[in-house]
Amino acid sequence: MTDVKQLPWEEWIKERDNPQDAWRKPEAMDDVVVIDASYGNYAGLFASSILAEFGAFTIKIEPPGGDIARKMTPYGMLVKDTGLAYLVEGRNKYHITLNLNTEEGREIFKELASYADVVIETARPGEFDAMGIGYRQLKELNPKLIYCAIHTYGQFGPEAEKNWKKPDYDLIDQARSGIMAITGEPDDPDVPDEVKVPTREGNWMGWYSGGCWAAFGIITALIWRMKSGKGQFIDVAPPEAEAKFCDYHIQWYHQSGKLRGRVGAYDSAVFPYTFVRTKDGVCFISGFSDVNWAHLCKIMENPELKDKFPTIFDRLNPENQPKIHHAIEEWSQNLTSKELEEKVMKANLAPDAVGVVATAKVNRPSETLEEEHWWVRGTFQKVKDPYYGEFVVQAPAANKMTETPARLKWPLRPVGADNLFVYKKFLGYGPSVLKKLKEKGVI
Amino acid sequence: MNREFFEWAKQELDPSKIFLKPEALKGVRVLELCTLIFGPVVPDWLSEFGAEVIKVELPGMGDTMRYVTPYGFFWKNISPAFQEQNHNKYHVGLDVRTPKGKELFIELAKKCDVVVENLRAGTMDKWGIGYRQLREVNPGIIYLANNGFGQWGPFAHGRPSYDAIAQSVSGLMTISGFPGRMPLKSGVWIGDFTGGCMSTVAVLAALYYRERTGKGQFIEFSQGENLIRWLDWTWVYVHLTGKDRPQAGNRDLAICPSDLFECKDGYIAITAFTEDEFRGLCEAMEKPELADDPRFKEPLERLKDENAKELLAIIREWAKDKTVKEIDELGAEYGFAASPVLDAKDQYYSEHWWSRGAVVEVDDPIYGKLVEWGSAPKMSETPGRHKWGARPVGIDNEHVFVRILGLSEEEVKALEEEGTIGKWGDRVGAKPPEDWDGKTGLFYP
Repeated sequence: MTDVKQLPWEEWIKERDNPQDAWRKPEAMDDVVVIDASYGNYAGLFASSILAEFGAFTIKIEPPGGDIARKMTPYGMLVKDTGLAYLVEGRNKYHITLNLNTEEGREIFKELASYADVVIETARPGEFDAMGIGYRQLKELNPKLIYCAIHTYGQFGPEAEKNWKKPDYDLIDQARSGIMAITGEPDDPDVPDEVKVPTREGNWMGWYSGGCWAAFGIITALIWRMKSGKGQFIDVAPPEAEAKFCDYHIQWYHQSGKLRGRVGAYDSAVFPYTFVRTKDGVCFISGFSDVNWAHLCKIMENPELKDKFPTIFDRLNPENQPKIHHAIEEWSQNLTSKELEEKVMKANLAPDAVGVVATAKVNRPSETLEEEHWWVRGTFQKVKDPYYGEFVVQAPAANKMTETPARLKWPLRPVGADNLFVYKKFLGYGPSVLKKLKEKGVI
Repeated sequence: MNREFFEWAKQELDPSKIFLKPEALKGVRVLELCTLIFGPVVPDWLSEFGAEVIKVELPGMGDTMRYVTPYGFFWKNISPAFQEQNHNKYHVGLDVRTPKGKELFIELAKKCDVVVENLRAGTMDKWGIGYRQLREVNPGIIYLANNGFGQWGPFAHGRPSYDAIAQSVSGLMTISGFPGRMPLKSGVWIGDFTGGCMSTVAVLAALYYRERTGKGQFIEFSQGENLIRWLDWTWVYVHLTGKDRPQAGNRDLAICPSDLFECKDGYIAITAFTEDEFRGLCEAMEKPELADDPRFKEPLERLKDENAKELLAIIREWAKDKTVKEIDELGAEYGFAASPVLDAKDQYYSEHWWSRGAVVEVDDPIYGKLVEWGSAPKMSETPGRHKWGARPVGIDNEHVFVRILGLSEEEVKALEEEGTIGKWGDRVGAKPPEDWDGKTGLFYP
């Protein structure tokens, strides 16, 4: 490694946190054993993926027929026996089968859980408890256990009791987070009725928010356990998890009694902060403070516009936003997205520039996938699986750390592929025992 | 339904007992030099679990986020948008670009476990207070650098970044919204908050590793990269099919049926996927034969575009003559997922959210009664909590410089006089409420 004083920061840090070298470095959580007992649930899967990316020995339990999460796939598309979403979130997990609907299966689960540090489940609240494998029962065998239950309504509360029979799904989680109510095209006369509705984020934002906050709670619990020796019970409701991302909406309601409504391309707090059509696509553009707004108007060679809406309050006036938007589009529609980006970047870097305009081409996923920057940064990873073949997935987000970067070691496994390894390693079951268990439908 | 289980869970997680329980991150001290959201949010969430946070802002103006507000609204001279990611912190007004200011920052960093910054790549290093300087004086430091495009790489320079830029470059906007419409911007600054969540998780992993080994480290996060991670099956789909992932409105292309349906009096979100759930929905619709229909019986068949569209149309036709409440209750009875769309008002008045501590009241020393989100993971031993809300610029200077750093009151006064440290300027957003008496809510003296 080269000396501190000689290298520019960019080169110095790249030498030390390049994800290419991740495999040589220690793993933050390789002393942790996780059991992912989720079923048909990507909040559970994302939570265990995060822990597994940090090196936790993660055991994914599926019923003998496989986790229905393998069937949650666009248009029913499969690679061999598994759908696309699972190709992304099966990562770094040891896959075993176990039938929790049998008495013997539950006994085996208890034995595995006595070795585990973490258990994650996404069943209806109280379901695992009723089967004798909930937190209350498992902690008798393993007092240091950290048990995380993820469900839409959580593990207690009037609506949890009323809705206990309902399963946890992303769309419902997004609907209850508060974000869907303020996302979507506004109630304008020229917007068709069918689209003037609360609109979800295209991805599983509800589930992924739940999974991320579950990982947060679990690692916090592991830190506490290091200090105190104690395990604990963690309840994560994905709508509550995603609500943490709601900007100021609960504070503003409390203080003013006002609701935000859907603003579409407009915004209640910063404008312009919007996207506009270009000759060949769409660009996002932002210049909302007075200084940056002036800079934008200068770039557009439209000083009158600046004087027409001089303060941020003028620009936040809902009546003015469509006018400002229209004026910017009159300019942007004469440029290609690339030309617009270049023009703005050049102006930002000019020596006499006062202010900065942020802009970016709005990418279709195929365009992002082709951009060199993400590949150089290790954001995407080409994987080659012995059974599922070769494909591209997104790499762990926390893959640039100098000591313990997260990493993707293998993308997934077929159903039950790790039965022999895991059952032998933890419970001493050899091939003859496994054969008998399989015949009985226990695994 | 096991009522006794719910009673037990409620006891374990009772929000009224939160302050009687320990804090997992007790003893962890965080130094923050951040503005806006994708920076401040990290120490904010660590503070909920017991970390002590020193937030450094520019004297006078402070964090730019203080001036971002809905339609220019301020409450008691503070912005609600600023409050959202600034709880439980000590607010210090310190200019790190002055030689004395830089020295003080380094002294503070020596006493901290974590440093979080979200300046442009290389800025902290240029100022002499970046990771390679701080680790010389505090080898165990965990240093998190958050920004739009990262510390190196083709896009690392010359590209300012906001949340919507992350939404743009990651592809999120073009996979959201209805087919044939413009790309859809999220109603919230989702890139900032999701990136903040994931980077906080990385800090926690680093804290865990440090408990094991004593070693600190540098972590960098890019907002765009994080959103890319959260886009589930998008990339593998594009790679394998050569096609772009399309917009689909509220329909879930990978789970069927899952969509938002219009009722007589509003909208209901419905999802069912397993055999039992789907059969339950069909029975609730009084169309049990659908559950055995070859188009719909197997989930993978149901997901095929033509079948999915037919099924969703059937459900749409059924839902329009029902009320939201009816379908919500049918879900609870027949075991499929259903819910109305909640807005801030629904959450604010929800007995369920309050009883779980998901919405909480905070009795703030300066601002009075605040309403905030409680902690997301509800933990039985070490639950999260809020102690106070956001505060004026530099109001905790004395508390931090005398009681944490150990300077004398005279030294602090001298630093103030030379402009190295300072408090709020006379602007709404930075200063205390108009009726502030000059001492209520001060931690020191």
